[in-house]
Amino acid sequence: MNAIEIRNLTKNFGTKQALQGLNMTVPIGSIYGFIGENGSGKSTTEKIICGLIRQSGGSVKLYGKDYTDIDIRAKVGVLIESPGCFPNMTVWNNLKLQADNLSIENPDDEIRKILKLVRMEGSAGNKYKNCSLGMKQRIGIAMALLGNPSLLVLDEPINGLDADGMRIMREVLVDIAKKGATIVISSHILGELEKIATHYGIVRGGKMIAEMTAQELDESCRRFVAVKVTKTDMAKSLLMRKYLRIEEDENQYLRVYDETTPEKIVCYLYENGVLINEIKTDKIGLEEYYIDLMKDKGGR
Amino acid sequence: MKKTFEKNTFNKRLKSMLKVDTRRLIISPFFYIMVGISLVVPILILVMTSMMDGTVSTNPQTGQETVMHGFEYVWQILGSVSSTSAEQSSMSMDLVSMCNINMMYFAIAILVCVFVCDDFRSGYAKNLFTVRSKKTDYVISKTIVCSIGGGAMILAFVLGSVIGGKIASLSFEMIGFNAFNLICSIISKVLLVPIFVSIFLTMSVIGKQKSWLSICLSLGIGMFLFMVISIASPLNAGIIHITLCLAGSGCFAIGLGAISNIILKKTNLV
Repeated sequence: MNAIEIRNLTKNFGTKQALQGLNMTVPIGSIYGFIGENGSGKSTTEKIICGLIRQSGGSVKLYGKDYTDIDIRAKVGVLIESPGCFPNMTVWNNLKLQADNLSIENPDDEIRKILKLVRMEGSAGNKYKNCSLGMKQRIGIAMALLGNPSLLVLDEPINGLDADGMRIMREVLVDIAKKGATIVISSHILGELEKIATHYGIVRGGKMIAEMTAQELDESCRRFVAVKVTKTDMAKSLLMRKYLRIEEDENQYLRVYDETTPEKIVCYLYENGVLINEIKTDKIGLEEYYIDLMKDKGGR
Repeated sequence: MKKTFEKNTFNKRLKSMLKVDTRRLIISPFFYIMVGISLVVPILILVMTSMMDGTVSTNPQTGQETVMHGFEYVWQILGSVSSTSAEQSSMSMDLVSMCNINMMYFAIAILVCVFVCDDFRSGYAKNLFTVRSKKTDYVISKTIVCSIGGGAMILAFVLGSVIGGKIASLSFEMIGFNAFNLICSIISKVLLVPIFVSIFLTMSVIGKQKSWLSICLSLGIGMFLFMVISIASPLNAGIIHITLCLAGSGCFAIGLGAISNIILKKTNLV
């Protein structure tokens, strides 16, 4: 059984087809990175999962049951677009409302615990409208975490967070996943997503174009040898004579994607009078994989 | 891997929803502002009209003179004594018939629309409806809590009328009815509130975050029923009026509640 199983999901907004037969499988306990361009259908899918908009066609199952099942839906935490808080209420009162909504026993203790988790314990008395963007985002996460949800649906939760905030968020999400919760998280900050996601789903034009585990992604990411040299242009022309796929990255490293070893490259360049400052083997990250995939599918 | 989920019964869901709405109403300054307005408006009406009573205004073009008539006794602001005579039951558009407790039902429309639309405008609806696939508890809870809020506004208006009457030194004489009738009339007016709340709630779920649209629709649709108020809850009301108002409220709340429920189910919530 999977936490989420979506089959042939379609959604039309007037004449615009936002989702065109999207399929999605999210295993229980996974952190599912949901990736796609703006307008690709991520938020629409998440809203349908949460029952906030109705699909035009297809099926959505949560833990093997229809997504409208009241018992399952009571254990879904959500942060879509912006936190759903009343601006004139204090942070505490907003959380208290959500605690009431979820019928939480000992709500005060639970709220204190959650506020501590998102490092907001000193801001409970502040009015929501007076909070900074980062604070609001953390309040949204706190709202989603209340009631120990089994499924968390988070749309761009790390937007507006500073480096420390992102680290806290990572730790919190990993901790929750370890306790058995399933997390669907969409983000454009792929570097951050890569640090925590166990599964990925890449959506484009309302269709799922790739679904894989982190391990599968790791295996399909291109390996390369990167060298940093003093005579970059000369080294580049030399390498291009011998290897097929050479690229220069933003840090002035020359990347050789062909099957080779660092030793062979060192020897080759040394023999041709080029001294190497640095050399390393690496593989492309999620961001580059995503860009490559988009290019392959006729995108950017 | 099999995962089990706790049973979420209707009682539990309704209880939690009532808690949310009651808390929201209690901590909302807007509710107290509306109750405050309900308290102050009759005081202002009674004092101002008693000051203007007997004032003669002349139309400068025609030279025609109009005499302003204020309230003869306090209870007139709460309604009129029902009569079968054609003369008394005919519609009159003077100050007394315009500035009375019926105005409060317009104010209740604003309270309900703002209260419901805030759920959608703030985005709290996302938190609410994600954990509630059944919308019945939302509709029931909103109807109950808004009716309590509206009832409080009606009672504040009655209190304001008494205070205003004292300040304006108006008569508290009961002509054609007694204290029991007056209490029945007030209870009937409070019991009429759920009828209007159901209409306003339906309009609010149609308008969702557009509170201006909800208010316009509520006042537009509600206007057809405003004339029922004076007929259903006259000053000489009895148990029959209470029973009728209660039955009417029940029917409207169930009927329009079902419509609101369908609208919430069939439309996008964000």
